[in-house]
Amino acid sequence: MSKDKKRIKRRCKKTLDVIITYCILIIVAFIFFFPCLWLILASFSKSGSIYSFDGFFPKEYGLDAFITLFTDTVMYNYQRWFLNTLFIASCSCILGTLLTILTAYCMSRFRFKSRKAMMKTTLVLGMFPSFMGTIAVYLIMTQFHLVNQMWGLILIYSAQAPMGYMVQKGFFDTIPYSIDEAARIDGASNFEIFRKFILPMSKPMLVYTALTSFTWPWSDFILPKMLLQDKNLYTVAVGLMSLGETEFARFAAGSIIIAIPIIILYFCLVKYMINGMSAGAVKE
Amino acid sequence: MIIVNKLKKFIISIGRFFKEKFNGAKEIIKEGDNKVFASFFVMGLGQLLYKQWVKGFIYLAIQILFIVYFVLTGASDLFGLFTLGRKEGNEWYGIQGDNSIVMLIMGILSVIVIIFYIALYISNIKDCYKTQCAYDTLKKVNNFKDDVNNLLDKSFYKTALALPVVGVMVFSILPIVFMILIAFTNYGGDIVPPALVDWVGLANFKKILSLGQFAPTFFKIFGWNMLWAIMSTALNYFAGLGLALLLNKKCVKGKVIWRAFPILAYAIPGFITLLGFKFMFSYGGPINYYIALLGGEKIGFLGLNSKWIARFIGLGVNAWISIPSTMLLATGILSNINNDLYEAARVDGASAFRQFRKITLPYVIFATTPVLISQFIGNFNNFGIFYFLRGGLYSDGYFLASDTDLLINWLYNMSIDNNYYSVGAAISLVIFIITSIISLTVYVLSPAYRQEETFR
Amino acid sequence: MANLSLKHIYKVYPNGTKAVNDFNMDIKDKEFIVFVGPSGCGKSTTLRMIAGLEKITYGELTIADEVVNSLEPKERDIAMVFQNYALYPHMTIYENIAFGLRTRKVNKKIIDEKVKEAAKTLGIEEYLYKKPKEMSGGQRQRVALGRAIVREPKVMLLDEPLSNLDAKLRTQMRSEIVKLHKKLNTTFIYVTHDQVEAMTMGTRIVVMKDGFVKQIDSPKNLYRYPSNKFVASFIGSPQMNFFNVTLKKQNNDVKVEFLNVKEEISIPFDKLVKIKPNFLDGTKEVVLGIRSENISLKKSSNSLKMKVSHVEELGNETLVYGDLDLNNDAIGDSPTKVIIKIPGFKEIEAGSIVDISLDFSFLHLFDKESEESILKRVPDNNYVNVEVKDNKLDLFGLEFNLPKAILLPSSSYEALIPLEAIKVKEGDKVKVKENEEVDEKYLLTLDINEHVLFALNEKKYQSVDISIDMSQITLLKDGKEVICPVERNNVFVGEFINKKIKDGKIKSHNEYYLKFLDEEFPSTDLITKKMCQAYDDRRVFHEKFSFSFRPSSIKISDSGVKGKVIKEMDYGNNKKYVTLKVKDHEIVVLDSKAKVDDEVYITFNIDEIGVTEIGRDIKVI
Repeated sequence: MSKDKKRIKRRCKKTLDVIITYCILIIVAFIFFFPCLWLILASFSKSGSIYSFDGFFPKEYGLDAFITLFTDTVMYNYQRWFLNTLFIASCSCILGTLLTILTAYCMSRFRFKSRKAMMKTTLVLGMFPSFMGTIAVYLIMTQFHLVNQMWGLILIYSAQAPMGYMVQKGFFDTIPYSIDEAARIDGASNFEIFRKFILPMSKPMLVYTALTSFTWPWSDFILPKMLLQDKNLYTVAVGLMSLGETEFARFAAGSIIIAIPIIILYFCLVKYMINGMSAGAVKE
Repeated sequence: MIIVNKLKKFIISIGRFFKEKFNGAKEIIKEGDNKVFASFFVMGLGQLLYKQWVKGFIYLAIQILFIVYFVLTGASDLFGLFTLGRKEGNEWYGIQGDNSIVMLIMGILSVIVIIFYIALYISNIKDCYKTQCAYDTLKKVNNFKDDVNNLLDKSFYKTALALPVVGVMVFSILPIVFMILIAFTNYGGDIVPPALVDWVGLANFKKILSLGQFAPTFFKIFGWNMLWAIMSTALNYFAGLGLALLLNKKCVKGKVIWRAFPILAYAIPGFITLLGFKFMFSYGGPINYYIALLGGEKIGFLGLNSKWIARFIGLGVNAWISIPSTMLLATGILSNINNDLYEAARVDGASAFRQFRKITLPYVIFATTPVLISQFIGNFNNFGIFYFLRGGLYSDGYFLASDTDLLINWLYNMSIDNNYYSVGAAISLVIFIITSIISLTVYVLSPAYRQEETFR
Repeated sequence: MANLSLKHIYKVYPNGTKAVNDFNMDIKDKEFIVFVGPSGCGKSTTLRMIAGLEKITYGELTIADEVVNSLEPKERDIAMVFQNYALYPHMTIYENIAFGLRTRKVNKKIIDEKVKEAAKTLGIEEYLYKKPKEMSGGQRQRVALGRAIVREPKVMLLDEPLSNLDAKLRTQMRSEIVKLHKKLNTTFIYVTHDQVEAMTMGTRIVVMKDGFVKQIDSPKNLYRYPSNKFVASFIGSPQMNFFNVTLKKQNNDVKVEFLNVKEEISIPFDKLVKIKPNFLDGTKEVVLGIRSENISLKKSSNSLKMKVSHVEELGNETLVYGDLDLNNDAIGDSPTKVIIKIPGFKEIEAGSIVDISLDFSFLHLFDKESEESILKRVPDNNYVNVEVKDNKLDLFGLEFNLPKAILLPSSSYEALIPLEAIKVKEGDKVKVKENEEVDEKYLLTLDINEHVLFALNEKKYQSVDISIDMSQITLLKDGKEVICPVERNNVFVGEFINKKIKDGKIKSHNEYYLKFLDEEFPSTDLITKKMCQAYDDRRVFHEKFSFSFRPSSIKISDSGVKGKVIKEMDYGNNKKYVTLKVKDHEIVVLDSKAKVDDEVYITFNIDEIGVTEIGRDIKVI
């Protein structure tokens, strides 16, 4: 009898555990999902202002917000913003990824004199509050006549990207050195080793790097706000910030359009993301 | 203790570095032949005398370019760095004056150019000496093709790092140097170009720490800033870890779907989230709508008088944004734990809780220490949260800041919105010193740093 | 398909640690050389230096008679197999194997042919289009081998290729690699820490420890004639038994006293004739080694008692573990523990006390301090007692005329006669007891009136006449050297300098000199080249060196450095040396004309110089 009781007790405990787990999961899912849902619903509201909502829910639904987003371009030229953002983010993504990967490769594979000094310097530099320097960056850009130029912004993003090479270096460190050596014996130079071995072998890291160096310009607002003062050069982030409470639906619609590509990318690459993040972190 | 030792080591290594350089220079002066000395005077001449035509001409061209630059602008730029301008402009009389700030920037730039030039000049002498050594010891003297091949093979790092280094110099180091220098000037307030800026030494730091205007605000904000960094880091870290563990449980079915919700939150660009939450808590937002519906008084959640409410909202919103990334990281790390450990523990009869406490937790904490540091720094300098939620508010008792603002927000308010550039720069230096001490300490103590070389 | 030579190879790290120390070896074409030793002994470093993956700090490495020190790995025509296979994970097996050929721009058709052939040789044809991660460890290692052989390199280097495989696969791959070596007819250099692998695969084995080469020999000789205690203990399983003993000669026997336990046995002196006499006085501690199979469980007049601690029955043989110390049970670190291997099954109870006998023909003896063997297969010297009387040397009743150079009062002396100093030719004066073949030569054991003398010769003989080259012997009186071999090197401390000679305003050329005896001697092209190549920077001009010349490399001529003859040494047969005094140095020169008190001039034959860097004790030439 007592044995059965114990078993039943244990089973009860287990079921309770499962129930509690699922309850927490549901709450967590709700917390993370509800604001998103709210934005989605808001984007389909017929009237734009936040004041005409029943709490979280619009009174009337319609596609008006999306339509005005792309048609009413006098005040808020969303289409332009979107293309600007896409252009800036793509270019900085390509250049930034290239530079970051190169830097990480060198730091992982070469032992040169100034290596340790460089690593420490980048570490220290990373601790400066970044935008304090933006005043200087702004002044430099004015000196070189790169204000109100998208290339100026791309230049800054790609030039600053190599500072975050540590994660990539951590990944390269895990590729056995004997592969380089075998390739050298097979007659490859270090450049060829990089191009023919290290690059193809680090696809997950490439994807991770590309993704992070794409999303940064994609959602940054301080630099574009400062350097792109011409309304035609606004990026989405700067543009959406200029929308008030009465344009809430339009804000929601614009946000959803800009968020969707990134969300899709993230979901496709979540595995790489996890690998990339933990490759940089785990060092045993 | 370790820190002191590290410091000692660092100082010794600097001493050794200079001694090495000095000895190297002495050797070149003692042993170098007349061709090396030719390179002392004209870059590339020695190389040309050793019949390394292309390299010689490249060095020569560099020197000519530098001289042209120096004569045209470099010298006056460098001079300007010290004077910061002497002729005050006056629109009234149509006088084109000196722009101190531009002069500062150009001065720093000229210093960077000079540093690059000196590096190249030294490399020119070293290269010539190396050629001499090869020549004297009957080894093959590299021709241009060998040099190019070398840059693609043995010295590939030089080729590969050239662009990143220049980029980082101009867009990361130069701005930081600029900021540091600004902290020692009186730039800001009324003194903005065309007015002339001047060097003032440590006056700005004294102002922050003593003068009535800045000091109370500084200490109040600093206290809140520390509290915020600790609370938010702890909250995000443990909540993220907990979530990852929860999703790692065997009984949870459909992990992919459950995980999708946090990832969704992670993927949405930060500013959208922040603006969205601002709308949610705004006076006319949905939360207030329900309060009103239930007969309550509408609350200005993010208004002027809601110090702690706004602070907690900030904490919550920050958690909403940051927990997913911690969760993803912890998931990755959890999947790396050797399963044998758990099996061994189960054989030993350890309970689930014990397994968690003895295996999972130590491992995860060990692996995430570096990340913890960067998260702490990130939170300490978390500009976005309160900029978006409560930007532009100034509370009573604070100088140009609200009661939720972090140091970095205050800094922004002062320097970018209100022209207090020099004080802002001084504050950012203080922030930098605090954060760097914390993180360097933890970094040096962390196993990840100590074990870097054992990897091979 | 080439011979390899390593001359004075060193690997010195910037902090001064020497990973490899004066590695010297000539490897003939088609040899299978195994480097073996515990981890950190420098074996992999040496291999990597041969491959070009690691810089050779000093020394000269030649492959197929070409100095390759400064060549890149790809230019050395070598191939290497790594411990972790180092396959390119993103390429198919085919691409992996073909890559080396592709970078060398070989015709595509030929590549295809060669890859397929290599795959066939290794039995991996069916996997050619798979990726490495779909294959098992053994298959991966085959691919790595394929990648190496497809280029038909001059030398194959294998760095512990089997240590990531399981035991069964390892044995199988072992024989396959040996077969591959036979088939390819290429020089193989194989690194392993496993002595069984080394013994079964190598034609010659290099045993290393702490950066030093301990012995280079064939597996058989390594096992039978280890030249030091380390090799003795490292090679063979179970490990050789070692006991600390003292030896004392008593008439025709040598009494062996075991330290740590009160036991002694006596060994007939016959078995220990090669030993240096000063080890036989009963005071010096030596290490006696004997392999487990050379101990038997039987009682004899010379047997020892042992307490059995446990027994391992392996089927075809039985291992008996025990201790000479009958009170000691701990098998761990006891200095008197014994392992005995006996064929077949034998039931012995643990705890019982048994009698054991050692086979004296297989004894090994090592100096306790230096751990070098004192019972070498070919001893360096004959240690004998001689009498000098009327300018004649009496060696066990044989008389030899002493040359004019050796003038000694009549007395008895101890003599050290190197084996090379004893010249034999067919005759009937001396009987030859034994002709033992050693390295294509014969070690002759001569019997002179019941005394033993060793000599080396190209041929075997039944009986011989002997003569002794007196210029090589050492004579001692009361432990002091009274006569020493004359063929010693003349050593000078000096520098290597270069001078810029101006030809015009800018043009100049270099001249190189060796500076010693406060004089500058123009260097020859050969020596200059060797000196320069030994260093990769200008350190060669800053270091202090010791330069050494053999007496025959210095000539008396009309000009040169001035000196005064202070001694003549005539060894007969036109072999006459003179000692000169040159600026505080005494120099020995091979010359037949000069007389005492002559003022002469000497010149040095620079090409025959020997050079050692003093600072780090590194042989440069």
